[in-house]
Amino acid sequence: MPTDSTSASALNERRRLAVKLRLEGRKLKDICELVDLSSPTIIAAHKQFLKGGWPAVDTKPRGRPSGERSTPQDQLETLREKAFGRPQSNVPWSYSLLQEETGPTGAGTSARTLGKHVEQWGLVAENLHRASKNDGSLSDWLAADYKSIISDSRKLDSTIYWAGMASCRTSGDGQVIKYIHAHTTKGQYYWLAGNHQTDTDRFIDFFERLANLKNRLTVIWGGHDPYLTAATSEWLKRNTNIHFYQLPKTTMATKEKKIASTAVSAANDPDSINTEPAGDPLKNAASLTHLQRLEAESIHIMREVVAAAEKPAMLYSLGKDSSVMLHLAQKAFYPAPPPFPLVHVDTGWKFKAMYDFRDQIAKETGMQLIVHKNIAGIDKGVNPFTHGSSIHTDILKTEALRQVLDKHKFDITFGGARRDEEKSRAKERILSFRTEQHRWDPKNQRPELWNLYNTKTAPGESIRAFPLSNWTELDIWQYIHLENIPVVPLYFAADRPVVLRDGTWIMVDDDRMPMNNGETPIMKRVRFRTLGCYPLTGAVESDATSVQDVIKEMLLSNSSERQGRMIDHDSSASMEKKKQEGYF
Amino acid sequence: MAATQELIKNDIAKYLAIHENKDMLKLITCGSVDDGKSTLIGRLLYESQALTEDQLHSAESDSKKHGTQGDALDFALLVDGLSAEREQGITIDVAYRYFNTDQRKFIIADTPGHVQYTRNMVTGASTAEAAIILVDARKGMQTQTRRHAYLTSLMGIRNVVLAINKMDLVNYSEDIYNNIVDEFNQFTDLEQIETENITAIPLSALNGDNITQRGTHMPWYHGSTLLSLLETIKVDQEIALKKPFRLPVQWVNRPNLDFRGFAGTVASGSINVGDPIRVQPSGKTSTVDRIVTKDGDLDRAIAGQAITLLLKDEIDISRGDVISTTETPASSANQFESTIVWMNEEPMLPGRQYLLKCGTSTSTATITDIKHEINVDTLEQIAAKKLEINNIGNCNINLDRQIAFDDYTENRATGSFILVDKVTNETVGAGTLNFALRRSQNIHMQAVDVDKNLRSGLKAQKSCVLWFTGLSGSGKSTIANIVERKLAEEGRHTYLLDGDNVRHGLNKDLGFTDEDRVENIRRIGEVARLMVDSGLIVLTAFISPFRAERQMARALLEDDEFLEVFVETPLAVAEQRDPKGLYKKARSGDLKNFTGIDSPYEQPENPEMLVDTSSLSAEQCAEQIIRALRQRGVISGDIE
Repeated sequence: MPTDSTSASALNERRRLAVKLRLEGRKLKDICELVDLSSPTIIAAHKQFLKGGWPAVDTKPRGRPSGERSTPQDQLETLREKAFGRPQSNVPWSYSLLQEETGPTGAGTSARTLGKHVEQWGLVAENLHRASKNDGSLSDWLAADYKSIISDSRKLDSTIYWAGMASCRTSGDGQVIKYIHAHTTKGQYYWLAGNHQTDTDRFIDFFERLANLKNRLTVIWGGHDPYLTAATSEWLKRNTNIHFYQLPKTTMATKEKKIASTAVSAANDPDSINTEPAGDPLKNAASLTHLQRLEAESIHIMREVVAAAEKPAMLYSLGKDSSVMLHLAQKAFYPAPPPFPLVHVDTGWKFKAMYDFRDQIAKETGMQLIVHKNIAGIDKGVNPFTHGSSIHTDILKTEALRQVLDKHKFDITFGGARRDEEKSRAKERILSFRTEQHRWDPKNQRPELWNLYNTKTAPGESIRAFPLSNWTELDIWQYIHLENIPVVPLYFAADRPVVLRDGTWIMVDDDRMPMNNGETPIMKRVRFRTLGCYPLTGAVESDATSVQDVIKEMLLSNSSERQGRMIDHDSSASMEKKKQEGYF
Repeated sequence: MAATQELIKNDIAKYLAIHENKDMLKLITCGSVDDGKSTLIGRLLYESQALTEDQLHSAESDSKKHGTQGDALDFALLVDGLSAEREQGITIDVAYRYFNTDQRKFIIADTPGHVQYTRNMVTGASTAEAAIILVDARKGMQTQTRRHAYLTSLMGIRNVVLAINKMDLVNYSEDIYNNIVDEFNQFTDLEQIETENITAIPLSALNGDNITQRGTHMPWYHGSTLLSLLETIKVDQEIALKKPFRLPVQWVNRPNLDFRGFAGTVASGSINVGDPIRVQPSGKTSTVDRIVTKDGDLDRAIAGQAITLLLKDEIDISRGDVISTTETPASSANQFESTIVWMNEEPMLPGRQYLLKCGTSTSTATITDIKHEINVDTLEQIAAKKLEINNIGNCNINLDRQIAFDDYTENRATGSFILVDKVTNETVGAGTLNFALRRSQNIHMQAVDVDKNLRSGLKAQKSCVLWFTGLSGSGKSTIANIVERKLAEEGRHTYLLDGDNVRHGLNKDLGFTDEDRVENIRRIGEVARLMVDSGLIVLTAFISPFRAERQMARALLEDDEFLEVFVETPLAVAEQRDPKGLYKKARSGDLKNFTGIDSPYEQPENPEMLVDTSSLSAEQCAEQIIRALRQRGVISGDIE
């Protein structure tokens, strides 16, 4: 390039050429090479052409009109252009080199001042060496691997560079410029910037230049992986004088810095500018556990629903999920009691232990408990034995649920369903909309973004809200364990009278259960993974008598929990069908 | 994993102690089924042992029946539970999958890639902290890859994994991998797509290379495996902690008169008891008295926690307000530049009103201007009059009140919003607040509010002024009265300005000097203009003898709004009628400056209408005017 290539007229000529080539349909990459402009510049020039024709392509006159005395501002501009380009000598930029190469312009400026400017332009990356000391996740690596790297480098007489990549934004047009940076352990700082090179080329160019400073290098690379392409690793393999180590993935992230256009920041040692405050006292308290996050998410959903609902209610099925949900509701509205009643849809066929538990909880929480039975169905004598699980569920559960919601005009009802319960539930939304007939219209559900829930309904329409959507079975048990939440004792193993039907152990909970020919109840050590109507709920043989045991058994045995629920086995799409009919 | 199994068997308490302290990462996978997305997710679930035996068993038997991998396990069948619904045309925007490793719980949002792709991906990405963009190594960068990269950056996802899959089908070629990585980097450079961390990994989801273990096929790859990368990505909640404190108030908790708590989830930052706070948009200040949870009061609450704040002072705070610390409070504004993703079949139209939910606040929003639409495939900006479903546009929006907010790039929780249709209640759009517009920047104010067209449209008429001019006694008032009556009978909204109601009120300070005459007409012109703006048909009946004055009134209105009606009567006829005896007074010299006698009347040169009272009755003149109004479209109805 001729030396005047940066003058305004030469630049404009190149910009116009670039636009012309672009209009001819040439590839950007080729144009970049041909006219030696960065791709964002070319795109910007092209856009300006489209807006204002050829005159708009030219850059506005820069600096002061000639003849006026040159000012520090002009000097800065020259320095800046230098710092974002490639140095003439065969080493990377450092403050001292920048001072040298800017000649008379830079001569009057101390390295210290230069450092401040370079920092202002966003060209100073985080000193990875320093940052690593404050990164707890690296302590093991620093103690072992890094120690041996240091001793090796001493033996080889090589210099250690902590290097990486970063990007910054120009203050003018805000374009993003990438650069590679390296700090020595003594704080000496080197960089090479600009978008005129591919990542690979910049990578190789930079380390070639570093190698010119001192033949043997030990590089601790904390940058992004895209830099480590085949070409770069091939090159590293050939250059045996460079010992290349990758910093283990850490919580350190390279940051893009926005550049303040004014005010030089507080004075720093120019050779070791570190823009990050050293150490973060909050680091260890920073991260919530997954259970804390799930808990907060559920509470958030409950508060949103209650703020919007005219008459909310919570379906309380007495299962472990219901127990967790109730526990979370108490947290959400503390010190007030949850501002809604508990609704129990009673088929009349639940386990005795569940009824006992229900009455005890109602007493302890002081919450209103609404128990609803489909009297008409019960009067007709509907039961799981003669009518089968399908009709039983439809009449005594689904129908009963509709009745109680209609009777009390609840507009939003909480349910304890989780997405991991079953493959088809994975797509369920947290708020599910029901028509006036309580039907779930799968084609007419609302998208859910961020934590913004749309709780609007027309009169008659209602919403089922599932605050436990993102919990898994394991999360539920871990939380029960952690928070000491009471659950129905049926979840724990005990000797119970059972009969084997269709390969499933069914507990004989009362004398309404008719015995088939040759059937006699036997005592077995069993427990239940889910709870429902006793004639429809399969027991599993187990010795798990505590929450810990239950978790242990669950983790080691591994069969999905709905296996024990007979309703799912009736027909393959049964859950889907039930839901459309209004089952929870 | 074997070690974990041992730990569970031998020391479940220790296992729980470890696993109860895991953190959580939400991520999204982008790619189509052809890229091996289901296989990848299935592989992650399988490798992390998130699958139960019966799930595995049914997948194994399915694999043999309709798998694509011979007798080997087809991982895609582990997650592909949605095909039946797809056939039924059920919209599935996002399916969520869960798995655990020793370090983390993961939630994967899996978005089916088809027609509704943009809507679905944006939905899934809105809660994601990391994105896996899948590329088929055989095909390289595709249009959809660009789209994925754009949408992830639009939704502010900080970490992107470029997963170059099916490496087994390209002989694990390093060159092919490098080319794709280079191409991707160039693309993101070129379009200035900003993502904080992009990491490329060559994979074979089918064979498990670089998923949890490196395998032996790609010795040239030095980076981490997919799972170990996902385990080390910094979670957003940790990033949010370093930002200024924000608590969008969800609910005011008042169990009794002594307790007034503000419940909400800390969106970012942290707060300590004793910290001074500011409430936005009201700007009121106080100090934190207590941080209440059921598990006991806290000294300090951090981003992500659901808490209840008690303040020292009793200040008025309600749902939708945002509590900040005083040194870095949230901004407050009612006009914004935003990027909107439209999600409803009914297109978005500027001028229409929607409910806007941002944080916990709900307001009424009007889209004042679509600056441009963005083509998600080419990233070109296109001019647009409306936004169709799955389109993305940069729009200016105007709210009916101030809300507290932050720019989306600063804070996802306080800078995002959804739009809800006021009639159907559907969620019709979602967007990001890019920055607040200052009033002067909003040049589209007129288009926003109820305007003249809307007001007159409501009255089924076109507002205008009928400016009657003519000599005293020509019959201006009489005709104007009949015209107004006829219009009123048709249900039109009118107003008649004449000497009686103007000279006695608004203009009672004016005499009959030349200055006062000009001022008189100016005021009438201004009042008429306001009334036209309010949608009325205005009738004025003043002699208004001077052309210049009438021209001044005409200039205040738009071209077709000023209708000059010349009531033509020869002076002799008018003088003969002389209903108020004024001509007599003027002739006798008792009245000075009387038009037609000792002051001139400048006839209109090109009046919009001319009625001749010497040949037509007042009733007929009025009918002629009504017909002309119909012809001009001022009022609708049959033209007789």
